[in-house]
Parts: sequence; structure tokens; C-alpha cells
Amino acid sequence: MGTTRRTAAVTASAAALLTAVAGCGSGTDTSATGEVVVTCATCQESPTDPFLQYNYEAAQRFNEQFAGQYKVETIENPNAGSGDDRLQYYQRLALADDLPDLFQLNSGEIKAMEQNGRLHDFAPSLEADADWADSFYDQAFDALTGPDGQVWAIPQQRDAIGIYYNKELLEAAGYDEFPATWDEFEDLAAELKSEGKIALALDGDWATKLMWANLIGTQPGGAEFLGEGIVDLEDWGDDPAVVQATERLRDWHTEGYVNADAFSGDFQNAAAPYLTEEAATVPNGPWFVKTNLTPEAAPGLYEKTGYAPAPGWTDGGQGTVVVSGAGWVSGATDEGELEAVEAFVKFMSSQDEVLTQAQATGANPPVVVDAAAAKAADLEPLATGLIEQATDLEHAYPHARVHGPAGLDTSWKNLWPAYVKGDLDTDEFLERLTVDSASGQ
Amino acid sequence: MSAFTKDRPPDTVPAPAPEPAVGPPRRRLVTRRARPVPGTRIPRGMRGPVAVSLLPGLVLFGTFFLVPFLVLAATAFARWSGLDFAWAGLDNYRQMFGDPVFLKALGNTLFYAAASVFIQVPLGVGVGMVLALRPRGWKTLRTIIFVPFVISGAAYALVFSMFYNPRAGLLNNALGAVGLPGRDWLFDTATARWAVAGTFVFIIGFVVILVMAEIAAIPGELYEAASVDGASTWQQLTRITLPLLRNVIGTAILIRLLVDIGMFDLVFILTAGGPDDATATLALYAYRSYLNGEWGFANAVGSVIIVIGLVLIVAVRRIFRIGERAL
Repeated sequence: MGTTRRTAAVTASAAALLTAVAGCGSGTDTSATGEVVVTCATCQESPTDPFLQYNYEAAQRFNEQFAGQYKVETIENPNAGSGDDRLQYYQRLALADDLPDLFQLNSGEIKAMEQNGRLHDFAPSLEADADWADSFYDQAFDALTGPDGQVWAIPQQRDAIGIYYNKELLEAAGYDEFPATWDEFEDLAAELKSEGKIALALDGDWATKLMWANLIGTQPGGAEFLGEGIVDLEDWGDDPAVVQATERLRDWHTEGYVNADAFSGDFQNAAAPYLTEEAATVPNGPWFVKTNLTPEAAPGLYEKTGYAPAPGWTDGGQGTVVVSGAGWVSGATDEGELEAVEAFVKFMSSQDEVLTQAQATGANPPVVVDAAAAKAADLEPLATGLIEQATDLEHAYPHARVHGPAGLDTSWKNLWPAYVKGDLDTDEFLERLTVDSASGQ
Repeated sequence: MSAFTKDRPPDTVPAPAPEPAVGPPRRRLVTRRARPVPGTRIPRGMRGPVAVSLLPGLVLFGTFFLVPFLVLAATAFARWSGLDFAWAGLDNYRQMFGDPVFLKALGNTLFYAAASVFIQVPLGVGVGMVLALRPRGWKTLRTIIFVPFVISGAAYALVFSMFYNPRAGLLNNALGAVGLPGRDWLFDTATARWAVAGTFVFIIGFVVILVMAEIAAIPGELYEAASVDGASTWQQLTRITLPLLRNVIGTAILIRLLVDIGMFDLVFILTAGGPDDATATLALYAYRSYLNGEWGFANAVGSVIIVIGLVLIVAVRRIFRIGERAL
């Protein structure tokens, strides 16, 4: 081969390679049938996680409805469920500029991901479609919004989280209904303890921090702490509402009102004593009914179970944690793919789909649905009743675990058992919790 | 030729060397090529094939160990979050050695290593020596002892988290049955480290198997001669078997130490390093730094783990003279 020919061949090969690489990086992915293909990292089948399973089935419905135009392709992702590893997984992909087109994050994770500038901002899409934007509840985007008004996620649900209780055990302790104040709740706990029952089933993580948030949020200024202070304050021990809440929660452990294995961080440690009727109450969201309190899992217990918002520090001061849960986020940058992403999130927030999701997972819709449709959907009453009650409550606030700094989970699991067992005082605990949580950002 | 040689008288010719009085007649020195032994040079004709056969291993070693190791060693001197990178000199190391949590993690790691050396290995050697005597049911016992070694660390940790559960666990229930109070073994700073060590120090299967294999290789004549000289079984175990196990004991200690200084899964699943870092290890400390986006710092911790590992390898090899023949 002559020099000229060889040069021409090398140049052509390099050009072809560059074209291929450029094509991989920025062009719209299309299937053989010409559909725009978007990847979803939280749409895989799951026999154990009803949310993933719902996403999978919804993605299939979307594919059917938009066949020939858009297609959602599932990425098998071991980090799809919530946990420490999920954030790391997506941060690594963000660094490699290889985020999936669709996936889900909670508000704390979104805050951590904000810094890398790789998440798509949905604000312009919402502005351009006022009907769609107005279909959501007023506060649905609060925890998903960036400092300059960016909307990093489309909410998947909007749940009021309450406390499930065993009516029979409460009646045996002399209570016809769930206590309305924390003092009354402590009286109930003491009574239950004297009868050899556990008053409150906790786990050292989700459920424990849920009660922490309830104790903080039902105090004046508490909701502000859980909204902004938990992110901005340099020492949470400076907030008297946090100090009071923390000490009261610790005292419940030392008084023996809480299950002894409440430190592992595994929610099953809270669910088990409630399901075996050793514990009278357990805090969790509406999905608790679907995932734990099914008639098959706990024969007879379903009928005995009631739900209530958190008691208050004063009469009438009850409140509830309201979470948007995990929202849909996108790492797509290509226009064609963004169009498909927008079509998907609109599909997922349509009335039919949010009601299907509520039936499948127990989660409540993030959008306002008309009463007739909700009634026709025949939603699970134990899962959805609290959302109706929540409208009349004095306090509503986000969950510390979802809205707090990304490092809160790890530092809480490390420090909380030592604090409860007296190795740290309240000042030291809260100061270290603040610092360690922030270092996980 | 000199005149002296030419004129030398016949009686000055040196006499031939005398034949040895006993033993086989002298043979010519072996001139064929001997099998290479450690420390000898590779024969010239074999160098090409040896190099080719080593190449895949070297490529894998370079790709998956050497390059990452060099990256780790270099970035340990940088502030690196994955997004931002800036050289920081010794800052990571200053920060690390000034952090009480690092010192706790270092102490815990050494504690777990010591638990292995002083409990697990002696126990394994003792059981291996007894099983080598082939008492009744020794095969079944050997299998039972070896089973925990093949179970994954994660599954093992889950089993023990149930065992230690303060409300429903076997340990507290057993204590309660004999009137003793239970505890929250894993989440009490006073007991957590011991509880974690308790999950692995009794996994002695690999030590037992090593010891039994080594004992099987000891020539029976040694024991026969000792018996003729009147040595008891105990004396045979302590004067013959144990000294000949030097190599294998050193190897067991070395393997266990290397596992312990990188210990992660057991601790992560059982306690996540808590309470108040009472069970945290160096590997967990590095992992947390990585989760916090302090990648350079995490690599500095990783380099300390590697240095500790190298020191231990050299020390244990020297103390136990691993590689030298015991017999």
C-alpha cells in the first residue's frame, strides 16, 4: 500500500471512529423502529419492592401507549432501592457523564446531586404547561426545588406519614382512641409497659427519625428546622425544639417504652414486634400496609389496626410528616430524549397512573385527583385515611431522613445507640450529629 | 618446558589420592541440567517461554493492582472529590492522624487482628492437632468445623445479628434461661467490639485444614523413633508436631492478619461501625470518607492499610521463617 493510500485509509478510519464516538455521546438513541429510546434505572421488575414493580409495569404501559414514538428501556440496577449506595452509584455515573435518562432520588439525595450540575431542570417544562403544573399539590415540589427555582424532580407521591396502632392493646390499656398529646402518649406507654407490652416499635433509622421529626415538628419553629435549619444550622443543639425532642425520644428508650432491638437500622426490627402484637404502635408511611400489614402476613391484625397523626405538645397541636418520597429525575441532555422523558413523567403523573400506583403500593398521589375517581379506585383505607386527616392538622413538616443532609443516616446509626446508652450527652450528640451529617454531603 | 620439570626425579611424582575407606565408589559430578530451584537462574533456552507464560499474569497484575496502587499512592496527597482535584501534600495524613475516629478505627483493626492471632489460630491449631490423631468421628467434625469458612461474610453477619438480638436473640434467651441478664451486645460501646470479634474468632476451619495437611506430610518414622525412645503422645505433639507446624502456623497468622486489616463486610452489616465508632475498622473509615466525597483522603487511609499489611507480612515471615524448610 502506498503512502498516500495508507494516509487516506488512516484518515478515513479516524473520521469514522470520531463520528461513531460523537454519535454515542450526543445523538438521540433510537430503536430499530425509529422510537426514541430512554433508559430508566428504577423501572426493573422486583418481587419484593412494590414501587419498583409498579414502575416496571407503568413503563410497559407507557411503551404500549407511545409505541413507535418513545420507548423506556430498563437498566438492571442493584442500587435502585433507597440506601447509602444509591447516591454513590449515581454520583459515579454523573462524574462519568453517564447518568440514566430516568431514575428516582429523594430530596436529600437531590441536594447532594445538585452540586454536579448534571440533573435536568424541569422548571421550564412546568412553566410551559400550566395545566400540568397546577395538577400537583401546592407543596409537592417544596423538597425537590433548587436554590434558584430549579425543579430537579417530578414527585412520585405525596404521603402523610402517621402512626399505626393496635386498637385492642390500646383499649386494654384504657384508651379508646390514640392520644392527642405527647404527655398522654407517655401515660399510655407507661401503662403498656406495666402490662409487659412495648409501647412504640422503632428501628434506629427510618422509624426512629420519623418520631424525632414528629417531636420536633409539633413544636413552634419545628417545621422551620426540618425545612431549612436541618440543612443550614451549624449546630442542631442550638435549636431548643431539637434539644427537647431529642431528649424526650432518648428517655422513651431508657424508660423501656421502646423495643430493645431498636438500633440496627433495619425497619424489620420495628415491624416484627408490631406484627407479633408485642408492640402497640409503630410509625411508618401508608406503604406499611402494603408491605407488612397484609391480611396474609398478620391474620386478624389488619382489623385491629388504626392510624393516627403524631400527638402534639399541646392539645390540638397534632401534626404529620408529609413527604414527596422519591421523585423522578433525569440525566438526559439530548433534546429528543428530553422530549421522551417529559412525556414519561407526564404519563406517570396522570390521574389514571397515580391511582394505579396508589393501589399497587399504598402511596398517595402527588396530584389532586377528583373525588369520584379516587372513590372508584377503592384505595386502601388504612393507607390513605391519614391524607384526609392531614388537611386539618396544625403542623405539617418534612421527614428528617428524606430532607436532612445526605450523611444523616450514617451518623445517626453510629451515634444514636451511644447517646441513648449514656455515652454522650445531648450537646455532644447533636453537635457531632450536625458535623458528621454535613460531611456526608 | 622448564629444565626443572624435564629433570625432575621419578620419586617426586605425587602419589594418587587414596580411595575412601568406606562408602560407595566416587562418581563423576552430575553434569545434566538440574531442575530449577528457588533462587537459581532460569536457563537461557527457557527464558522466552517463561516470559510469555508470565505475560498474562503481569498484564493482569499491572492493570488491576499496579496501576490502581500508583493512582492510590499519588492521589493520597491530593484533595480529590471526584469533581475537584488539588495537590495537598501531607494534609490528608496530618488530618488522618489527628482524627480520633481514625485512631479508634486503627485500634479496633489491631484488636480484631490480635483476636485472630491469639484466639483463632491457637484454637485452630489445637483442634487440627487433635483431629490429626483421627479420633472417632473426626471426618464429620472436620466437615462441621469447615462449614462456617465457606459461608459468605454477609450471610454470616446476618446470622450473628439475629444471635445477638437483645429482644429475640438466642444469646439473651439462653442467658435468661439460667437467670442471667441480657444486653444489647452489638450496640453497647462496652460489648460491641467483643461481640464483633466473637463472630469470627471461632471460624477455625481453614487453620484446621492447613494443620491437618501439614501433619499428614510429617514422616511417620519420626514418631516411630520417638515411640522407641519412650516419648509419650503429648511429648510427640509438643516436641515433634508443633515445631514442624511452624511454617503453617505462620501462614495461618499471615492470612488472618491480612483479612483482618481489611475487615469490612462483617462490621458494616453488624453495626456499621457504631456505636460511637466502637467497632469501626480502617476499611470502614476509608469507605465513609469515600461516601463523603473525600476520595483523596480515603486513598490516604488505603495507603496506611497497605503499609500495615506489608509490615505484617515482613514481620510474620521473619518470625515464623516462612519459606524455610522446617524439617
